[in-house]
Amino acid sequence: MIKVTLNINDFDRTLLVEPDENLLYTLRERLLLTGTKKGCDQASCGTCTVLMDKKPILSCITPTLRCEGKSIHTIESVAKNGKLHPIQDQLVKHGGLQCGFCTPGFVMTSIEFLEENKNPTESEIKEALSGNLCRCTGYKKIIEAVKAASEDMK
Amino acid sequence: MSVKSYLKPQSVTDALIMAKTHANYLYFAGGTDIQVYLKQQLIKPDHIIDLSDIGELQNIASNDENISIGSMTTLDAISKNNSIYKDFPLIVEAAQSIGTPVIRKTATVGGNILVNNRCNFYNQSFGWRQAIGSCLRDVGDLCQVTKTSGKCFSRNVSDLAAALFCLDAKVIISNQNEGLELSIVDLYNQDGIDFHKHLDHDGILTKIILPIDAGSTWFKKLRIRNTLDFSSLTIAAKVYDNRNFRIGLNGVSMSPVLITGNLDMIDLEGIKSLARKSCKTVDNDMMPLKYRREMIDVYLDQWWVSIQK
Ligand SMILES: Cc1cc2nc3c(=O)[nH]c(=O)nc-3n(C[C@H](O)[C@H](O)[C@H](O)COP(=O)(O)OP(=O)(O)OC[C@H]3O[C@@H](n4cnc5c(N)ncnc54)[C@H](O)[C@@H]3O)c2cc1C
Ligand code: SF4
Ligand code: FES
Ligand code: FES
Repeated sequence: MIKVTLNINDFDRTLLVEPDENLLYTLRERLLLTGTKKGCDQASCGTCTVLMDKKPILSCITPTLRCEGKSIHTIESVAKNGKLHPIQDQLVKHGGLQCGFCTPGFVMTSIEFLEENKNPTESEIKEALSGNLCRCTGYKKIIEAVKAASEDMK
Repeated sequence: MSVKSYLKPQSVTDALIMAKTHANYLYFAGGTDIQVYLKQQLIKPDHIIDLSDIGELQNIASNDENISIGSMTTLDAISKNNSIYKDFPLIVEAAQSIGTPVIRKTATVGGNILVNNRCNFYNQSFGWRQAIGSCLRDVGDLCQVTKTSGKCFSRNVSDLAAALFCLDAKVIISNQNEGLELSIVDLYNQDGIDFHKHLDHDGILTKIILPIDAGSTWFKKLRIRNTLDFSSLTIAAKVYDNRNFRIGLNGVSMSPVLITGNLDMIDLEGIKSLARKSCKTVDNDMMPLKYRREMIDVYLDQWWVSIQK
């Protein structure tokens, strides 16, 4: 095993990992940060999305050893001092989640998208979230929630 | 665990030394293609050589004659580059058709050009493959499509390759010898197992050179969903001011297919017949074979209408 120091949610964590270990495994199984979900485990559903240096990545296909020296943020870092992020808040208000399994992925993808695009159209939101699958909501309420969050974040 | 080491070279020279000293290695770019092969145990490398720290592979440079793109540039970065957007809208269109917006922030140009060929009977979990008795490209001895032992017909699916074929792009390869500069067309083999050429001696694709040349371009991609899915058929085309044309087709044969000519010398039916002859399309995709073959004609009809305007 290899010793690695990772900056996760603004804390340095030193741990031992396998050479071919992926970040999703490290987060969930070694650091017990189980907010990041394992869906397809092959880059096809978006539920494992986290931020690396503020950009969304799929943690199921990101080697943990590639993350050394980068800053990783997971869903656990999004609500601050008990206050939900506007995207989380609007997802709740709009009923943009049912089982909630896909929600961490949608939130992490949307955070970077709304930082880059302050005034998104509906079709831009659809395109940005097109790698995130939800089996419950039918997407409409998620898209509305992200639009509403963009207003809150202005 | 099968992988013994994860190596992070800081230069192409470093990477080549690592390749020479580590048998059964794998070059790893964005990993958005190859990770699934690792997970499905389709490949079992002993060492991973991660190219992502090599700064020299991430440059985009332009002059009056051409643009050069480092192979580790992400698909997202090329879509946002002003020079590429201005001179090569076709590249932007092709890049934006790949995967999803999040995948494109990790996926690289080089990885897309060298994306592994796909087949419905091969790109499956270990258990699935075992249940059908595997195939020629894996550990079996029969192709599950043709039921013969002769040849593998897995499909090349690189959308960028179709676009780069019609832009007459060149690629630069560094290897243990002097390296190579060649037309992108020469990078591919019409072979479903041994689908890339000129990457021996630990070859690393380092740069793609695009000549700046006026002309009108066209791009269309067929897939089940407009996101996430790989191509069932991609056609990119360019018509130059002297009415020469280059058409790149992909997703329908073991390598991308190039058709060239002059619009004053050949008509649409002639082009369609060339496409039919050049594509070795078999029934190994989610979309039915008959439909994919028909769609080649439909897309060529649409392109033809677009250039009459
Ligand atoms: C859900 C999903 C959808 C996708 N959709 C598409 C699609 O629509 N179209 C498409 O074409 N692809 C698609 N892909 C595949 C893949 O994401 C892209 O092809 C991507 O561009 C590959 O780039 P990469 O940097 O991730 O390559 P990697 O996975 O890192 O590498 C791909 C191959 O190229 C080799 N390689 C990479 N760079 C070099 C280099 N510089 N020198 C030598 N060898 C190298 C690697 O060893 C490997 O064999 C999809 C993947 C997923 C998971
Ligand atoms: S075309 Fe035949 S040999 Fe090739 S991957 Fe598919 S089933 Fe296997
Ligand atoms: S678990 Fe990573 S994309 Fe599905
Ligand atoms: S809320 Fe259940 S998968 Fe999206």
